[in-house]
Amino acid sequence: MDLSTLYLIFGDANQDRRAKAIKNILDGRRTVSNLYWGLEYGLLPYFGALHDFDLGDEQAAVDTLNKAGLATVSDGLLYRLSSRGVDQQNQFQASVTPLNELATVAQYDIVRFSRRFIFAVQVVSEYSYSNNRYYPQTIGFFDDQLIKRWFIQNKQRNLSNYFHQLLQQFLSGLENDQLADIFAASLTGHGFSGLTEDQLAVQTDLEPTIIQLNWLKLYSRLFLLLNKDPETPLQLLLTGLTKPLMSGSAKQTFDLFVSVRQPDPATIAQLRKIKLTTVYEHLIEAAIELPLEQFPYQRLLHKQTITNLRQAAPVNVGEWQFKAAKAQIADLQFFEFRLFQISERKKGDND
Amino acid sequence: MIDLTAELHRYLGFDSFRPGQREVLENLFAGRDTLAILPTGGGKTLLYQLYGAITHQRVVIVSPLISLMQDQVSRLQYLGSKRVVAITSAMDFQERAAILRNLNHYQYIYVSPEMLSNRNIFEMIARQSIGLFVIDEAHCISEWGPDFRPDYLRLGRIRHQLENPLTLMMTATATQRTRDDILNRMGFTATGVKQLVLPTNRSNIFLSAKICANLPEKNEQLETLVKELNGAGIIYFSSKKQTEQIAAMLSQKTDKRVMAYHGGMDNQRRFLIQQQFMNGDIDIVCATSAFGMGIDKENVRYVIHYHLPDNIQSYVQEIGRCGRDQQPSLAILLYEPNDQYLQQNLIANTIPEEQLLRYLYQHPDKLQNNDAFRVIKYYYDIGKTVDQTLAIFDQAKSRRIGELNALIQYIYTTGCRRKLLLQHFDETVEHVDPEFCCDFHTDFWGNWRQFNQQYLKSSETDQGVQSTDWHQIIDKLFLLKN
Ligand SMILES: [Zn+2]
Repeated sequence: MDLSTLYLIFGDANQDRRAKAIKNILDGRRTVSNLYWGLEYGLLPYFGALHDFDLGDEQAAVDTLNKAGLATVSDGLLYRLSSRGVDQQNQFQASVTPLNELATVAQYDIVRFSRRFIFAVQVVSEYSYSNNRYYPQTIGFFDDQLIKRWFIQNKQRNLSNYFHQLLQQFLSGLENDQLADIFAASLTGHGFSGLTEDQLAVQTDLEPTIIQLNWLKLYSRLFLLLNKDPETPLQLLLTGLTKPLMSGSAKQTFDLFVSVRQPDPATIAQLRKIKLTTVYEHLIEAAIELPLEQFPYQRLLHKQTITNLRQAAPVNVGEWQFKAAKAQIADLQFFEFRLFQISERKKGDND
Repeated sequence: MIDLTAELHRYLGFDSFRPGQREVLENLFAGRDTLAILPTGGGKTLLYQLYGAITHQRVVIVSPLISLMQDQVSRLQYLGSKRVVAITSAMDFQERAAILRNLNHYQYIYVSPEMLSNRNIFEMIARQSIGLFVIDEAHCISEWGPDFRPDYLRLGRIRHQLENPLTLMMTATATQRTRDDILNRMGFTATGVKQLVLPTNRSNIFLSAKICANLPEKNEQLETLVKELNGAGIIYFSSKKQTEQIAAMLSQKTDKRVMAYHGGMDNQRRFLIQQQFMNGDIDIVCATSAFGMGIDKENVRYVIHYHLPDNIQSYVQEIGRCGRDQQPSLAILLYEPNDQYLQQNLIANTIPEEQLLRYLYQHPDKLQNNDAFRVIKYYYDIGKTVDQTLAIFDQAKSRRIGELNALIQYIYTTGCRRKLLLQHFDETVEHVDPEFCCDFHTDFWGNWRQFNQQYLKSSETDQGVQSTDWHQIIDKLFLLKN
């Protein structure tokens, strides 16, 4: 995918945004820092959504925007959209509207679902023509097996009629023929090869990246639709696609923390045989990922610390630097500072 | 005696064998180890597939190209065998473990020589009964060959450890020297193995080369050819990046449908482009040599080389991808003087420099787990001194340069190109049709448009335009039943 296009879509005109962090957020690199910026930029719902794509070099992407006058760039690869950048952003966002449907890609492995679906379409399409001489796709050993098993279990169910009807309903339900055409071009089967994103881009006059984002969006919609239907013969294709909210290790730490009677990070570090700093990182990850009321802030932040922080905090708590805070509150720890930022941010979101 | 033609029809639906296929199978059924030199498109896959189908025995195929192994699996599935699997280093640990656990479910097992050298994997394979042991691209075994793979040298011992199963060694082209080397390395004597060498000559492919003054002229020549030549074509490049650049240029400047293809693309994309090419949705593929193996397109009308191929053997293999339907086809080699240096650089890049070699000999731990140093590691492990290894690489380098010179000679020749090509394989042509042989006998470059009209026919099946309307697409995809 073209990273400069993504930077436009996920950029902002009123906030300098870290190009590196945005790329890492979309790629799903789970560090406390990336998660925090995800929260701060309101991009947490897209965390890891584009993990399967090659996103390219951030410096080159930012340079492209800068040269085209679409963004201003400052040290540390911070960029801010210009008014022309915002125009372009609006145009892109309009062609992937509503953007927030991409959040599904962060919750479920939609790319994997799309590969399964496309492969299943090929198998059913060729079968409906009684053709067994064709080159099957390969989507990895386990999913190849899954499709095979699924097909053997379901081939008596008149799958070609089912698929035709499903797609007829789904695509006409989009009420947008261009989107429906884009979706259909992702399929392949008997006498129809399908199109690549760049071939479609030429035809539709859209960016290849926009085509790919639309595919993700449409497959997300299809996935959710099928997921609601307990009768669908495609049940097996929907299995094992949930992405965990937190890393397994962070979840273990958090679960332990809320289950012991007198929770204390040092004890948890001993129990789990991990470093104390790791415990803090895990707890921050949990705080970022969980709704405000599900995380026990009061157990980790003293009332007095909160009062001190509130008094010292600037208007924009999100961009507040630890160094500056520490200068005002002598015994402040980074962990407390970050938790405070997270809770303030979440309170703001809830209001 | 088995009625092979009847079995061919029964299992694969074909009515007749291609040249050489029957003889190879007869040898295998007589229990003779066989070395088969069959030209590209000669149906090598069919040999072991049919043997497995008739005998119901397990076939293990050693194949060198990981990126193409999956193509071969698909190809076998395409031809009707379903219990096929490939074990490659490209799969993750869990996938591989699952396959190894269930190995006895598979009748056709593809494995790379590197994987077979892995103790664990070897033992799992050795536990299976093996009816036929196939070594594909057997020329990789030869140090004289350009594709030398040290792991191939272990195959002789591995075969022995597998208790000497019936063995079929195959390659598309091999000189006498390479053939002797293959047998020697595998521990066979020349009399112990049946050798079957099919002629390399493909009389339905017209041979031509064009020397351009410089790069712009070459590009212009390519553009003109692509605009006018009839039918489907493949253009070969030695660089991945160039496949994309020239494909973009041709798409823009001609009304042909052109796509790039190379091994660096992901599976989905490669699949799609192959599919489009086979279905006639695109006219031309700009490709690296990775393209062609998994393709079963009979009516490719021309192959153009934009860069020099590795050597004469590769050239013969690559042009062999046109005209499988036996209809008149065209091979063009485009050349401009700088191409020679490009190729020299490629050679220099694949052969390690003295400094690096000496460094690695002093730090042998750096040889571990690095694919780039596989060949060096091999010589290090068998106890060659740094100077001996250096000498081997020097020799390899001069051999590659010799091969390059042979190609240059082919380009600049003032005689019959076919004769010159076939000399490399100790072949002579008895009858040359001066009307349809090469650009030595006729003024091809003055009359190529006429040649095009007369000989190159575009296929009716390739005329189709893919619908982009979703209603039509889903109606086409699913044949409805009541
Ligand atoms: Zn000639």
